[in-house]
Amino acid sequence: MSRVNTLFSFAVVGLASLQAWAQQPAASPSRNEVLIKNAVVMTVTHGNIQNGTVYIKDGKIAAVGNDVSAPAGATVIDAGGKYLTPGIIDSHSHIALDDDVNEATSPVTPQMMMMDAFDYQDKAIYRGLAGGVTTSLLLHGSANMIGGQAIVIKHKYGASRDAMLFPGAPRSIKFASGENPKRVYGGKDQLPSTRMGNFAVQRAALVEAQDYMREWDDYDAKVKRGDKDAKPPKRDLKLEALADVLRGKLMVQIHCYRADELLTEMALAKEFGYKVRAFHHALEAYKVADELAAQGVAIATFSDWWGYKQEAWDAIPWNAVISMRKGVRVAIKSDSEDFARRLNQEAAKSMRYGGASEEEALKMITINPAWIIGVEDRVGSIDVGKDADLVLWDGYPLSSFGVPNKVLIDGDVYFDRSLPGFGMPRYKEGE
Amino acid sequence: MVNQSSVVRRRSSDSVVGRWSLVVGQILLALSVCFLSEAAWAQGKTLVLKGGKLLTISHGTIENGVLVISAGKIAAIGAANSVQVPKDAEVIDVTGMTVYPGLIDSESYLGLTEISAEGSTNDLIETSDEIMPHMHVYDAFHAESELIPVARLNGVTNAIVAPQSQDTLPGQDSFIQLDGKSANDMLLVRDIAMPLNFTGEQRRNESWEKRKFPQTRMGLAAQLRQAFIDAQDYSERWSDYEKKKSEAPAKSDDKKSPPSPPKHDLKLEALLPYLQGKRPIVLAAQEPSDLETAVGLAGQFKLKFVLNHISHSQSVLDYVAGLKVPVIVGPIYEDPKNYERYDAVYKLPGELYKRGVKIAFASYDAHAVRNLPYAAGYATGFGLPHDEALKAITLNPAEIWGVADQLGSLDVGKTANVVVANGDPLDVKTDVKRVFIDGREVPMKSRQTELRDRYSR
Repeated sequence: MSRVNTLFSFAVVGLASLQAWAQQPAASPSRNEVLIKNAVVMTVTHGNIQNGTVYIKDGKIAAVGNDVSAPAGATVIDAGGKYLTPGIIDSHSHIALDDDVNEATSPVTPQMMMMDAFDYQDKAIYRGLAGGVTTSLLLHGSANMIGGQAIVIKHKYGASRDAMLFPGAPRSIKFASGENPKRVYGGKDQLPSTRMGNFAVQRAALVEAQDYMREWDDYDAKVKRGDKDAKPPKRDLKLEALADVLRGKLMVQIHCYRADELLTEMALAKEFGYKVRAFHHALEAYKVADELAAQGVAIATFSDWWGYKQEAWDAIPWNAVISMRKGVRVAIKSDSEDFARRLNQEAAKSMRYGGASEEEALKMITINPAWIIGVEDRVGSIDVGKDADLVLWDGYPLSSFGVPNKVLIDGDVYFDRSLPGFGMPRYKEGE
Repeated sequence: MVNQSSVVRRRSSDSVVGRWSLVVGQILLALSVCFLSEAAWAQGKTLVLKGGKLLTISHGTIENGVLVISAGKIAAIGAANSVQVPKDAEVIDVTGMTVYPGLIDSESYLGLTEISAEGSTNDLIETSDEIMPHMHVYDAFHAESELIPVARLNGVTNAIVAPQSQDTLPGQDSFIQLDGKSANDMLLVRDIAMPLNFTGEQRRNESWEKRKFPQTRMGLAAQLRQAFIDAQDYSERWSDYEKKKSEAPAKSDDKKSPPSPPKHDLKLEALLPYLQGKRPIVLAAQEPSDLETAVGLAGQFKLKFVLNHISHSQSVLDYVAGLKVPVIVGPIYEDPKNYERYDAVYKLPGELYKRGVKIAFASYDAHAVRNLPYAAGYATGFGLPHDEALKAITLNPAEIWGVADQLGSLDVGKTANVVVANGDPLDVKTDVKRVFIDGREVPMKSRQTELRDRYSR
């Protein structure tokens, strides 16, 4: 790699490392070992273990099974036959941003970093935690065709800001299409006010990013030839971010409802050579599920919310299961502080609407959203080596009646329903 | 009926009280006609649901039961060996199924909206003034709404339809059934109750620039008091007039001109049945201060009321219990305040029940009416006994809305609004298999099932 290209890369790496810095964990203190015994362990990846035990060491799951014994000194939690699931993962959230969700002043704002707005003291993080959510993807809103860059948090309410960031989580960027950008800019008599305008704006931005990359490539080539007069192009944060999209360094998360737009977004991705990680909302995914499955694009959808706008008019509660049966990876997400508190109930609806199995329903709020966020090797199932993010339930979790009893993140109990006050052993009001 | 009441209204020779009792009488007449008119659209055949687990609500659970539906009513109910199955009846085997009365939503916006963001499809609220008691949701109720089949496919057979809550007095509620050949069939009770909203949301203070009266709660309360006082004066003016008229000499040759009637005022007239305690006010508040102000206001004018929401009034629940009125509770998914524990609102139904308060759940929605039973189910995770949760979407609302003689439980003589499902009515996993409204089996079809069928091939 030439010096100049290195320069450019450095610029990009500069941003990336900033993000990487942001996502580094605070040095974790050595922890006591924890043993959760006498639970129905719903592993997600290898079935349920009756009367199972999970052994946690240094915040990771160290053993799972029937014959796991307690090492001396381990804290023992007797589950008393309760269900134990992985922590719930919410692949679409706007909490903890203090309403700084949309920089709705331009339809292309990829240089926005949600990290800059992260309000780690927002009680919504706590309320999600109490509903069993341990990891969330905090996304830019849908006002812009190309929004900002997301952060991934763990719901360690009461911990420091940096300790709440999911260490090493990959970077995601939010795109949007359909009614929202139309309404936001059309309402001000600006471009875009139509779906033609929407996609023209998106295409123009990507073309601009290609040109930007070419300018740097040309400069790089000149330097390589020994051209001492070569001047580096002006750095542009917006275009650098888009260049990262085109280089596949940012996972693309697209807010999109209608079937035709799902197809158009996939065509655009193909045209410009990037991959769509997931379509969010995707309420008409069931109409084009074969195409989504063929492209390996996941969906993060609602269970049964519908009719709130025209593009949500064809939403049906069978969307998740029809899409799943056709091979699409499906997550149920919240997109709301409210739904985030009972995603288990929302996922259970897929058992009723379309007959998903218990494990299929559970996957929609654990391993599948983990994949959408790009942390599926770290969380989302009860497997040895994964983070000990776990929920112990009162009642059966995939029902109207399941309520989290305890929630552990990285092996620490962050929520315990039996405690007075807020039920958070690691948090005191007023701190 | 609307026309009839306007006819009555124009008959200014009636006394105010007389006129209103006539109107109320007509409402009751219309109501009984609605309840009795199923023959017009019902099948004549007697239906028997056999072998199911009957959740009667009023008298326990009957395993392996038999329910007979005839002429739109529940004709018989009991254990399999105790009920005579009529010879010509159509027998439906519901072995393994749960059978329960149709669910009742105590506040919905069904028929007033189609697509929330599309203004042309919404008739939810008149915000031009805060005092709008003369708005009647039956004037807007869209019987053919695509949302209604979606809701009834989950077993919701009846609902209160209310205007939205941005006005203190946004209009009057209707009580509907979720099937019928027209709005007339579906609107079982028109003007069944009137919301009085005092949550702070009704203030006209969206911005300092756009502020106008009433910008504060003081403004809202003062305006409400004035409205009820004006209505009282209005009533007196009519009484005086009636009195003078009756005292006037009958002979036409008298030189004195007859008394002239006061000018009609629809707004004030609409408040009279509530001032007379003939129908309930649905008093909405969230926090203790608003609750006590609103209750004080109701007391000042001797309004009969039920409470609505009170989601953040945990600290005054004994006071609430002391009022001896029912509470429409929720939505239990309402976010707690930052100073509240995560389950403060979830626990409310259970806490009210413990204090002997009669509760009912509501969806407070149109598209999500179908999720009514799940809200009730969720409350059972936070201290509300399961059977009480079920009661709070069946018999309790029937009693609160004065229709328990017809609805809310599986009892002989009641309207045959019956649901057959493959499990616990309160569980999200339970699939509703059959719904009967007014004794008619409703097709398990909606716009959504049509889309499902088209695309799941």
